[in-house]
Amino acid sequence: MEFEPTIVGFLCNWCSYTGADLAGTARIKHRPNLRVIRVMCSGRVDPTFVLQAFSAGADGVMICGCHPGDCHYLEGNDKAFRRFQLLKRLVAAYGIEEQRLRLEWVSASEGERFARLVDTMTAELRELGPLVRPPDLAGAPNPCPEVPREVAHG
Amino acid sequence: MAIRANPHLIDELEKYGAQDVVKCYHCGNCSATCPFSGDTFVFPRKSMRYLQLGLSSRLRGNLEPWLCYYCGECSEECPRGAEPGETMMSMRRWLTARYDFTGISGLFYRSPKAELLAITLVALLTGLGFTLFGMSQGSLAVYDGPGAFLPAEKVHVFDWIMAGVLVGLLGINCVRMWWFTVGSDKAVRVPPGQYLKQVLLVPWHFMTQRRYSQCDRKRPWAVHLVLMLSYLTMLVLIMFFLHRLQHGPAIDWTVHALGYAAALGLLGTTLFALRGRGLRNETHYKHSHETDWIFLILLFVVTLTGITQHILHRGGLETAANVIYIVHMMGVVPMLVLEVPFSKWSHMAYRPLGMYFSTLREKALLAEEQDSRTRPEPVAQTA
Amino acid sequence: MSKESRIGVYICNCGTNIAKVVDAERVRDMVADLPGVACARTYKYMCSNPGQDMITQDIKENNLDRVVVAACSPRMHEPTFQKALEAAGLNPFLLEMANIREQCSWVHDDPGLATNKAADLTHAAVRRVARHQPLEKQEAPYTPVTLVLGGGIAGLTVAVELAEAGQRVHLVEREGRLGGNVGRVDLTAPYLDSARDILAEKIVQAETNPRIEVHLRATITDLQGFVGNFTATLSHTHEPDQEIPVGAVVVCTGYHEFDATRVERLGFGKYRDVITSFELEARLRKGRLETSDGRTPRYVSIVHCVGSRNPKYHAYCSRVCCMTALKYGHEIKSALPDAMVTDLYVDMLSFGKGGEDLYRRTSELKTMFLMFEKGDYPVVRKAEPDDDCGLLVEVQERLSGEAIDVPADLVVLMVGMQARGDSDQVARTVGISQDSHGWFIESHPKLAPVSTATEGVFIAGCCSSPKDIPDSVAQAQAAAAMVLGYIAQGKVQVDARYAQVDTDLCSGCRMCNELCPYTAITYDPDENRSSIQSAECKACGTCVAACPSGAITARHFTDEQILEQIEGVLAWSSSQP
Repeated sequence: MEFEPTIVGFLCNWCSYTGADLAGTARIKHRPNLRVIRVMCSGRVDPTFVLQAFSAGADGVMICGCHPGDCHYLEGNDKAFRRFQLLKRLVAAYGIEEQRLRLEWVSASEGERFARLVDTMTAELRELGPLVRPPDLAGAPNPCPEVPREVAHG
Repeated sequence: MAIRANPHLIDELEKYGAQDVVKCYHCGNCSATCPFSGDTFVFPRKSMRYLQLGLSSRLRGNLEPWLCYYCGECSEECPRGAEPGETMMSMRRWLTARYDFTGISGLFYRSPKAELLAITLVALLTGLGFTLFGMSQGSLAVYDGPGAFLPAEKVHVFDWIMAGVLVGLLGINCVRMWWFTVGSDKAVRVPPGQYLKQVLLVPWHFMTQRRYSQCDRKRPWAVHLVLMLSYLTMLVLIMFFLHRLQHGPAIDWTVHALGYAAALGLLGTTLFALRGRGLRNETHYKHSHETDWIFLILLFVVTLTGITQHILHRGGLETAANVIYIVHMMGVVPMLVLEVPFSKWSHMAYRPLGMYFSTLREKALLAEEQDSRTRPEPVAQTA
Repeated sequence: MSKESRIGVYICNCGTNIAKVVDAERVRDMVADLPGVACARTYKYMCSNPGQDMITQDIKENNLDRVVVAACSPRMHEPTFQKALEAAGLNPFLLEMANIREQCSWVHDDPGLATNKAADLTHAAVRRVARHQPLEKQEAPYTPVTLVLGGGIAGLTVAVELAEAGQRVHLVEREGRLGGNVGRVDLTAPYLDSARDILAEKIVQAETNPRIEVHLRATITDLQGFVGNFTATLSHTHEPDQEIPVGAVVVCTGYHEFDATRVERLGFGKYRDVITSFELEARLRKGRLETSDGRTPRYVSIVHCVGSRNPKYHAYCSRVCCMTALKYGHEIKSALPDAMVTDLYVDMLSFGKGGEDLYRRTSELKTMFLMFEKGDYPVVRKAEPDDDCGLLVEVQERLSGEAIDVPADLVVLMVGMQARGDSDQVARTVGISQDSHGWFIESHPKLAPVSTATEGVFIAGCCSSPKDIPDSVAQAQAAAAMVLGYIAQGKVQVDARYAQVDTDLCSGCRMCNELCPYTAITYDPDENRSSIQSAECKACGTCVAACPSGAITARHFTDEQILEQIEGVLAWSSSQP
């Protein structure tokens, strides 16, 4: 059977989630490989979420926020951008290919763009194949709920 | 080189009957509606644009007004009421005045009083002239035969001289038309051979009014065709068979039958047109310039007096017939002398020529296009 | 899970919208066995009254304490289902929705893959909702005093509307006079009524109404607080700063006109007889229309779109210039009946009441209209000494395809509108955003044109985008109405999803302090702890993600909830063996 990558997407409520909804309203077909998790702002995305997603089985992670200057909370996407620069390096250090982690700006009116992003990333990941998890992360226990904070931030 | 915009051309055209040209905002509905508008002709919008900007030289070289038959659909569709149909009509009048080398045409169009004055003067002169001539030839009581007041052979000579002069004047104006439109157009060179090849277009269009028949509305074409053929018949009869027409009182059926048909045709169509213009019951009858009325009324009067004199003659009332004959000539002479080279009659030459010239232009443009395609590409030169 | 939740899962068919692609029954079967799920059902239209009633009934009969609705986007019906929970006496925050329509059935063709995705999303919702906590909405009092920034037509309208309704207003104007840009205008399009008259009435009302306090030559330098409870710092020249408590702020700072020297071809600044629309207004107000050497102009040309509809300057249309140019056609013709007026335009935007009529009437005055291509401005040059005009304007005229020289003694440039130079300062001070052109951004361009993302701060008039007087007044009245709405309620709801600092875990590192765009985080140096003003917090979560101690929790978007969601979407789909 052909490999279908699974991508976890963190979409900000005001721009990118609305943009994704717009793709729906306009019936713009795209690949079903993305699983969306809504956050209020791209600045909410804790790097731990990204690492946990890879650990739990995602082949790729996409973070979507408002275009710079348009953040509903003024500067949240700037923070997301700064964190992303460091996160990229961290993820690379794990041996995870850089195509597996993306930060994209999608506005509420960019339904078409969102759909194409999903298609592009899906195609790239299909080429790359499933994520090979480094041995020390594989089988890591579920960080919730017993001792949530220590495991998540330890 | 930019052309200077001239706001005063519109004022000039208004004297020629242009209505509300300023209202046109170039939506293009008229061009879309016009059954003749296509790839090469986008009228009436283009002509209206030249007019609005005051580009007289461009307008003068424009053949498009002659290709329009005033079906009136453009005026009906115009959302602004800018009357493109009537504007095209006013352009035909303006072009007629431009082609005329004497300047009389322009004077008549701009001043109906001048035209009426001229008609009156020429009519009176004609009346006086013919009366004196008649008195020198014979008796008022004799219509035909020896001692006739206005003998056919002599009138025949007069007719031919007058025709010659008028054709000469109109001919000069036609040459000017050619020069303004095709002759001086540096952008399109028409090879001399083409002139000969397409020359049959002129009589063909003249006789059949073929382009007019392609309008969506057929009745105006039909009415005009009847009018034109009736007039042509009458003209041929008068120019070549005057002695047989005048000879009587017996009816010479071969000529007179045609004459009756022509007369009926003329009467019917002129009355129809007069009524239409009076009631404004069609789009192209909604606006009437003085020249439109003068044309119809003169033609009507001439036809009526022609028939009347014939009836009077056949009825034996030769004196009355002669008097009406003079009145008839007082109508014919001004009508022809003033209208053929200078006014509405001239369209009988300008329209078929318009068709002819525009076909020549089209073919020349096509030929040039084909040439440029088959010409070998210049080879790139390295420095 | 410490306590076994009782989760009700409802999967909507949405008629055929979802059911056509997603097998709702299969999703139900897959989630029914998940730990904590007490019941799982499908229904044709969950948002319908019977659908909602079904939820309410189930909660009561099955003792459900959490609800998952897999249906359309939560942006569509979250409030609907929250009401269903409330009707059963359950806290509305104990709901989670899974978007299996806009982001699933409507965009995927393969039923198998789409159903799997729907199942994953529902699974994630089930795992997340188990972690939801009931949240109580907070209330705060509302100060019924309003701050209006800008004394132009919009600002004056807001002030007068509020004062007439019995409310107090501080009207703050930077310049030394009220009236703004309308105060520089002679007559207004399309009916040619006097701008002076329009303004005079409003200015008199503003100056005489005791409830309006007018501050001229003043600005606001700081704004703290949150809706209903703002503190604005008012700064007069040569006077000490004043702090005024207000409940809402309405920004009506207007616009500046485009600098026409930027378009060299038009010769502004080079030829004295090339003037802007505002300069023409000044001359019309004085009643003297002359060229620079005192002669009466015989030819006047008006050029549209100067600085507008051109990516080189401003890509947008400034909306009012076409109507204003037509207005000039009339004013010039009535002042100088023999003058020839040429209107050089790109498109004629003659919208709204009286617009087309004005256009037609201006044509009837024998105004010559010439069309040029957007961006291909005409070129102005000096005429020859023997010409009958002072300047010549060369236009590549589109409707005729010819290059036309238009004579002109006076050339009027319709300069566009642009955001004021100080608008970023204003935006920063009051806490709103600007778009790429500098205009202030509204909450929603269609449904909320006068609100902003910052609750309690409104925008009205040209400061949000170019518009004419009727629209500015309409927006001003709308903003005033919304403020009166707050005042009528007397109190404000504070978003329950604010962030909270667990002071036990806070190490006082202060990393969060500078991150908050709403300055909602304060630091107590004595305790060496940071804390968040819940009323000012907008729940963006930026500080939550940044805290190295994990001391900050985002209510309703906690780490636990999100991590459960991550596990949930991947549990059945991951490529992990």
